[in-house]
Amino acid sequence: MKKIMSLIFTVFLTVVVFWGCQDKTNLTAPVLNPKSGNADLTRFVAIGNSLTAGWQNGALYASSQNYSFGNQIAKQVGTTFEQPLVSDPGTGGRMEIKTLDIAKGEIDIYYDPKTGSPENSTYAKPYNNLGIPGALLYDVLYATSSTTCASALFSSSHTPNPMFDLILRGQGSQFAQAKALHPTFVTLWIGNNDVLGFATSGGFSPSAPTPVSGGLYNFQSAFTQLADSIASLGAKVVVANIPDVDAIPYFTTVGPVVAMETPWGALKLLGAPGIIYQKHGEIVGSGVADSLSLLTGQLLMTLPAINYATLIGKPTGQYYRDNNYPALPPGIDTTKPFGLHPQNPWPDALILDASEIATTENTIASYNSIISSLANAKGFGLVDINGFFNSIRQKDFTGGVYFNGVNFSTAYITGGIFGLDGIHPTNQGQAIEANEFIKVINSKFGANIPLINVATIPGSLILAKKAFLKEKLMPHFEPGSFKHLLY
Amino acid sequence: MKVKFFAFIVSIIIVASETFAGGFQLNEHGARAMAMGGAFTAISNDPSAIYFNGAGLTQLSGIHLMLGTTMIAPTFSFRGVSPDITEYDAAKQTFFPTHFFATYRYDKDLAFGLGFFSPFGLASKWDPNWVGKYLAIETKLQTFVITPEVAYNLMDNLTVSAGLEYSFATVTISQKTPFPVFAGDAFTTLTGKDNSAWGFNLGALYKPVDDLSIGVSFHSQVKYNFTGTATTTGPVQLASQLPNGGATADLTTPINLAVGVAYRFIPDLLVSFDFQYVGWSSYDSLTVDFSSPKSVKSSPRLYDNSYILRLGAQYTLLQDLQVRAGIYYDKDPVKPEYLNPSLPDANRLGFSVGVGYKITNNINLDAAYLFIRGSQLTVTDSQENYAQGISPFNGTYNTAANLVSLTLSYGL
Repeated sequence: MKKIMSLIFTVFLTVVVFWGCQDKTNLTAPVLNPKSGNADLTRFVAIGNSLTAGWQNGALYASSQNYSFGNQIAKQVGTTFEQPLVSDPGTGGRMEIKTLDIAKGEIDIYYDPKTGSPENSTYAKPYNNLGIPGALLYDVLYATSSTTCASALFSSSHTPNPMFDLILRGQGSQFAQAKALHPTFVTLWIGNNDVLGFATSGGFSPSAPTPVSGGLYNFQSAFTQLADSIASLGAKVVVANIPDVDAIPYFTTVGPVVAMETPWGALKLLGAPGIIYQKHGEIVGSGVADSLSLLTGQLLMTLPAINYATLIGKPTGQYYRDNNYPALPPGIDTTKPFGLHPQNPWPDALILDASEIATTENTIASYNSIISSLANAKGFGLVDINGFFNSIRQKDFTGGVYFNGVNFSTAYITGGIFGLDGIHPTNQGQAIEANEFIKVINSKFGANIPLINVATIPGSLILAKKAFLKEKLMPHFEPGSFKHLLY
Repeated sequence: MKVKFFAFIVSIIIVASETFAGGFQLNEHGARAMAMGGAFTAISNDPSAIYFNGAGLTQLSGIHLMLGTTMIAPTFSFRGVSPDITEYDAAKQTFFPTHFFATYRYDKDLAFGLGFFSPFGLASKWDPNWVGKYLAIETKLQTFVITPEVAYNLMDNLTVSAGLEYSFATVTISQKTPFPVFAGDAFTTLTGKDNSAWGFNLGALYKPVDDLSIGVSFHSQVKYNFTGTATTTGPVQLASQLPNGGATADLTTPINLAVGVAYRFIPDLLVSFDFQYVGWSSYDSLTVDFSSPKSVKSSPRLYDNSYILRLGAQYTLLQDLQVRAGIYYDKDPVKPEYLNPSLPDANRLGFSVGVGYKITNNINLDAAYLFIRGSQLTVTDSQENYAQGISPFNGTYNTAANLVSLTLSYGL
């Protein structure tokens, strides 16, 4: 019987030796390959403006730059993507949520005066992310510094844009630096600012978009020249078009709020036909906004207009004080009820009227037609971001859209796509955009780059850490919140 | 005029997704039984019979006291989220569940016992910032049972037993929750306890011939109603949305039905086999009710009924020295798609060895070592989301545990 016992022990010991360590087989890590189909993202360059840079909530900062659509694409294929990172809170003026009263649906936005510092400024080569906040079409080929960009040369205020120095670092234009990287793959998304500057200022400053054609400088010839230059790089190229303004919350949020909250019946009794506003170029206002036109988007109020919505009917010159007017424009009388009297009208800068909307829409349509035909002619992939955002906007009132099980819409704050400035996408919004680029890369170049799971991208609307008292619950932006906006 | 900026509803419901897995049943309540792979239902010849099969109590004459503890040191790792294979290891923790049993034989046909042990428990603790932080950070469950037991010889070779199980338990669950659009997250800790839950056990032991014994043991469900508090920290702006205050949750532990056969091949060699059925389907969902703000979170668990196969042997080497060994297979009750890192589970193999030594006529010392190896489990169709939206927590789990048990018995 000792034999039986020793047999049992032998079997047992064998089993223990065989099994008696943690069962842990090696797993194979996924092999990321910058080459997929005919697309080769080994040397990948993204050219553009703030939408390419990863600008968000009114500033450029590392924790948003890390989610720029270019960086998210680069991560999907495992390629290098150097960026001009600026540590949080970034370039200054980042918008953060100060207080939130969820029961009342009210929010107070604060802008953080602190700045971070550049983290990657000693990187020797040009950055792979050559998106420069504020860049216009002109700048890609010609701007080399803060003082040679279009806004410094051609705007009435001749404002230098320091973003050019931060990103270009004296090594030449965006195009020249892209060329120096001998790119195998390029994304190009430019021209938004050529019309958005006009639109976001209510058609006020500048008073017209970059002309489509004609004149000394126009979009048609400038984009043709740029497309020729980009094509000469010999890289695979994907170009994105310009989204419409009536699909972004900067323009779609405030009008309906004012329409719902204005006591239209009481205005009628006072003899006011509606909200009196300055039409394009007017001083004494002759435009009349009613509930229907604001609800249906025939008139679009800008996001900063929310600060003045509560002043309607009051004899106030708050708008002119906030905007540092040295004197009231002749013909304006701020003893008259604000927004209800032709001599104290709702300011042009806070509203896009029918003619301004038409100008904006026609301009964007023309730009997009130019971009589309050039992409076609040059063999570039075309990302129809405009059509994409419009399709999301159409579903806003029927429950929104789902990406990876997360609900999105174009609504301000709650929609999840756009950040606090109402124009630039959140981290998740940038992932959604990146997927649109990936889809085009895959279909145009026979590639097989996996889509990003949007659900795994964290939310990015910043709740200010500083503890604020909830004494001020009126919707409000601090003066200057929108002064730092670049597109 | 008052301007409402936007209609805004934040729904931050803490996903108290999962707490327990099959691994939270503890069967190690005595070094002798543990050394034999837990195949003890048909043997039950020491005071731990109160747990394994109360009908064994009439085998013990006079008064017996037994005190012991089992050191349990589990390891859990997760590699993922697929296709990524980054490895995350749970913090190393060691637990010391204690068992105490006292028996008294009134006459040769009637015996009484009193036991204290922890039938369910264990814990896991992951880094607060690990990839699965929205599923589990720290999870801890402890249950304790005090059971009076009575055994009676119906016939010379048939004994039956019954016991009442009074139980109390504590639970702690902590995890983070992402916000829909905002940066950052909330950190919630739920703590709860139930000071009185009740169950019962039944047992029978039959010896048709001298060297053969057959045992049956049954433990009922125990339904715990945990009451406690939820504590959440997060951004001040969202304070009104975060659960803080009362919370309640129910948990029903499964029935256990064990059937065992033991046979003495030769006077010195005893071999035992057990089949243990575990009615895990009692655990179909975990539901937590929060009182402030009022909300309910329910998540499906859908455990399957499960079983454990056990084989053990004891050989009397010297008159006062016994050596033991055992092996068991423990079927995973958790559907892989619902597996959650709060307590990773897997099909398990256990390998045990041990010795028993009679120090004096009255004092006996038993020692056992058990190694539990969970088979590697790769989840490919997880229903557990590790972020908001659809973000399946697919990856590869590995589990293992080392257990050492020491039990001291004193008999009069």
